[in-house]
Amino acid sequence: MAREFKLPDVGEGVAEGEIVDWLVSEGDTVAEDQPVAEVETDKAVVEVPSPVNGTVRTLHFDAGDVVPVGDVIVTFDVEGEAPEEESDEEAEAAEETAEPATESASKSATEKASTRTFAPPSVRRLARELDVDLDSVEGTGPSGRVTEGDVRAAAEGDTTEPQDEPPEEDREVAEPAGEQAAEHTGGAGGQEPAGREKTLAAPATRGLAKELGVDIDDVPAVEERDGEAFVTAEAVQEYAEGGVAAQGAPEAGAPQREFVEGGETTQPYRGVRRTIGEQMAESKYTAPHVTHHDTAVIDDLVETRAKLKERAAEQDVKLTYLPFVIKAVVAGLEEYPVLNSELREEAGEIALKQDYNIGIAVATDHGLMVPVVKHADQKSIVELAEEVNELAAKARDRSISREEMQGGTFTITNFGAVGGEYATPIINYPETAILGLGAIDERPVAEDGEVRAAQTLPLSVSIDHRVIDGAEVGRFTNYVMERLTDPELLLLE
Amino acid sequence: MVVGDVSTGTDVAVVGGGPGGYVAAIRAAQIGLDTTLVEMDAYGGTCLNYGCIPSKAMITATDVAHGAANAEEMGVYADPEVDVGEMVEWKDGVVDQLTGGVEKLCKANGVNLMEGRAEFAGGDRLRVVHGGEGQGSESIEFEHCIVATGSRPIEIPGFEFDGEHVLSSRQALAMDDVPESMVVVGAGYIGMEISTVLAKLGVDVTVVEMLDEMLAGYPEDLTRPVESRAEALGIEVEYGLAADSWEETDDGIVVTAEDGDGNTESFETEQVLVAVGREPVTDTLNLDAIDLEPNEDGRLETDRQARTDVENVFAIGDVAPGPMLAHKASKEGQVAAEVAAGEPAALDYQAVPAAVFTDPEIATVGLTEDEAREEGFEPAVGKFPFSASGRALTTGDSEGFVRVVADEESGFLLGAQIVGPEASELVAELGLAIEMGATLEDVASTIHTHPTLAEATMEACEHALGHAIHTLNR
Ligand SMILES: Cc1cc2nc3c(=O)[nH]c(=O)nc-3n(C[C@H](O)[C@H](O)[C@H](O)COP(=O)(O)OP(=O)(O)OC[C@H]3O[C@@H](n4cnc5c(N)ncnc54)[C@H](O)[C@@H]3O)c2cc1C
Repeated sequence: MAREFKLPDVGEGVAEGEIVDWLVSEGDTVAEDQPVAEVETDKAVVEVPSPVNGTVRTLHFDAGDVVPVGDVIVTFDVEGEAPEEESDEEAEAAEETAEPATESASKSATEKASTRTFAPPSVRRLARELDVDLDSVEGTGPSGRVTEGDVRAAAEGDTTEPQDEPPEEDREVAEPAGEQAAEHTGGAGGQEPAGREKTLAAPATRGLAKELGVDIDDVPAVEERDGEAFVTAEAVQEYAEGGVAAQGAPEAGAPQREFVEGGETTQPYRGVRRTIGEQMAESKYTAPHVTHHDTAVIDDLVETRAKLKERAAEQDVKLTYLPFVIKAVVAGLEEYPVLNSELREEAGEIALKQDYNIGIAVATDHGLMVPVVKHADQKSIVELAEEVNELAAKARDRSISREEMQGGTFTITNFGAVGGEYATPIINYPETAILGLGAIDERPVAEDGEVRAAQTLPLSVSIDHRVIDGAEVGRFTNYVMERLTDPELLLLE
Repeated sequence: MVVGDVSTGTDVAVVGGGPGGYVAAIRAAQIGLDTTLVEMDAYGGTCLNYGCIPSKAMITATDVAHGAANAEEMGVYADPEVDVGEMVEWKDGVVDQLTGGVEKLCKANGVNLMEGRAEFAGGDRLRVVHGGEGQGSESIEFEHCIVATGSRPIEIPGFEFDGEHVLSSRQALAMDDVPESMVVVGAGYIGMEISTVLAKLGVDVTVVEMLDEMLAGYPEDLTRPVESRAEALGIEVEYGLAADSWEETDDGIVVTAEDGDGNTESFETEQVLVAVGREPVTDTLNLDAIDLEPNEDGRLETDRQARTDVENVFAIGDVAPGPMLAHKASKEGQVAAEVAAGEPAALDYQAVPAAVFTDPEIATVGLTEDEAREEGFEPAVGKFPFSASGRALTTGDSEGFVRVVADEESGFLLGAQIVGPEASELVAELGLAIEMGATLEDVASTIHTHPTLAEATMEACEHALGHAIHTLNR
């Protein structure tokens, strides 16, 4: 008979693994416990052993595929069992859809029926939607029933932990979980014991805490249930690792740097960095980006700004070029509203925004932040300057509020602050367009057959090509450039 | 009419308009996929035209007559006159209303309806062959195809359906008058349901069954009340006999059956109904064109998303693995449509209910005590007899019981078996309980209307918890 072998949960809470290499081929004879595949999770590379003596009928994935835990990866023909029976068995297995074949096969090994996870249909669907393996979720409902909250918590747990599909290039950084934990505690000085009176946790979590010698009342709680602190298994694990590492670290406080041939230091991929990463990835892989580049000749603007700068200084306002660019952009958006929009795929609609809320990307020590200048169309150049400065300062010292970073309809990023001309700005999804500014500098410009040195500003506008056509972004950019080249036009806005 | 090949494109092509196919088509269209449903016979499939609906209509009509004629106990004396022709006409009216409804619903949801036989002409193409001279054929190019071609009655050698002497269930349900006597081959649910109808219409029924039990697959304590009621209705059931051949005589026919030892027995009768099971229909489809082969049961293997081995081809209902039941077909249809639309649907129900509309009814859902034990649970079982139900007594029908099976440790309901009045309706609550992960406590603590038959489920759960009120605890 055939036995379907599913990717087992190779470690606590791991949701998926990459098949690094198959160690067998279809048709190969295998012995029980013989390694059949090398699987890499974000925690480790492990060899997955065959559960049976038999032959490999089908390998369901290719090396390199990332497979969710619980997906069938190999079908074996079990030795000594007639392959003819398989269709019968399979039919039966399909009939009892709730009980996949491998589980019943491995059931003899477990004393208790673990074949079923009790959860209502709506929760089961949610689990599929959020790609959560229901069988691995700890139920907190009556008698251990899995609730909607449990599934959501499991899904969120995945996103706050580095195990959830780190973007390709960041994988190496995220990988060695052990080091990361040590580093984390080194840097943060370990987690403070919470010392609560009462802590809610699933029985299995309590078991884990006991096993790790951790007082569950000391574990920082991630959420509340019924007004009481609720602790997850992950939190216990993390706390335990923190504690252990802190004891072992000679100098808690500064991360140790090692200079070893081929060595490396790792940084945690979490918090703001991770949020930025995720947003970038979502934007980049959801919205097909096209970037339009052009250069505005801005001799006049440089002059104008130099003049006005002094006036502004009298009012205690530092006037940069940005408020002029914002003005020009708003004018462009008014003329080409599709660039001031949001695509709502599910609703099947493109929302053209009535507000002109311009996000300004600000590089800070903790990463990129995008405070939003609300209703930029209703503000003067000086007001814009004031507001941009204030928001940027708040972003840098992290006193900026959430609201001040929400509601943007179009974003401007100034990568030119560190030099350079063009780059591909990534759209601040779900917006559909972004303007990147290069460095203002003297560059050769050909005019009437002559080359002269002129002040220029390189512009890079990325658009979501699903919503905006190339010609449109071209026209928009021309419109904006016109106003930067001839700032007097801004007076008309 | 144009002869030739006209080709249209569609997101989802559904083959077969039974409860699997039409539900799949409507759901797919609801989600916004361009959907084409091809049916070669009648919308509603077996279920609406030749199965569930006509049989239940006839069962209810004959129950009315039989109930009235046997209510002396309640002080009612009646001798109902049954006009079988009119009864059948009424049944046909019900069927027409429902099949017409299916067509309307499909259209209202924007499903393109196509009449004809669909067969594969490649991985993304169906050819639809229209009936009749010079009707030609059409091609549909599809992204996804949902195969819902259902099943047909199995013919046994020597008993080809002729509609005159040898009937299929479909033909039996289309009769406009009843014979004096009938031999029914097969004591499965279709055989027993129709036997009961016939017996209540005064037909002299003999059931010939190869196995030594009725309604094989259902626990014996559930079938026993059915067996004794059948006997009371005058149905004779002959076990351990396989129908072998028949021949025409002056007064009708003689059916010969053989036991395991080669001894034969013969039965004089007017007609014979062969109800020995159903086989999936795949031979209408030209599966070779997509390199898809049915398994040895004739079914198309599917995964949890109702997909066959061919990525964009789904199979649902009787043609897919699992029990041949209309509600299972419909649920699979919904899942296949949602999967085709990219939604996270899957066949992950905990239990498929089943009902037999015999007298009394039988209904089951989920695991029996033994099955629960085999799955590794320590089962807790509770039972409540209808003889202790106030409502059952007031209906004059108090035979049977409700039994629940739960996991002793957690209290989760795992299964239920019911025999008795309205078993087919009562099972719904317990099916819901199982899907919701409800515990015995949950059901027992839910107030049930009094006096109803449904109280029996509450009482059975209380019994399993050891604190039943209206029955003695274990
Ligand atoms: C007497 C009787 C009583 C029953 N009672 C019950 C009951 O009480 N409860 C219950 O749940 N189930 C009952 N059933 C079973 C139920 O009818 C089936 O399980 C159900 O109809 C299966 O649905 P389906 O959609 O898979 O197929 P079907 O209903 O069989 O529909 C398949 C359709 O596909 C069409 N078709 C086939 N091939 C092609 C092709 N190549 N091109 C186009 N069209 C094609 C057929 O014409 C048919 O209309 C009963 C069946 C019978 C016979």
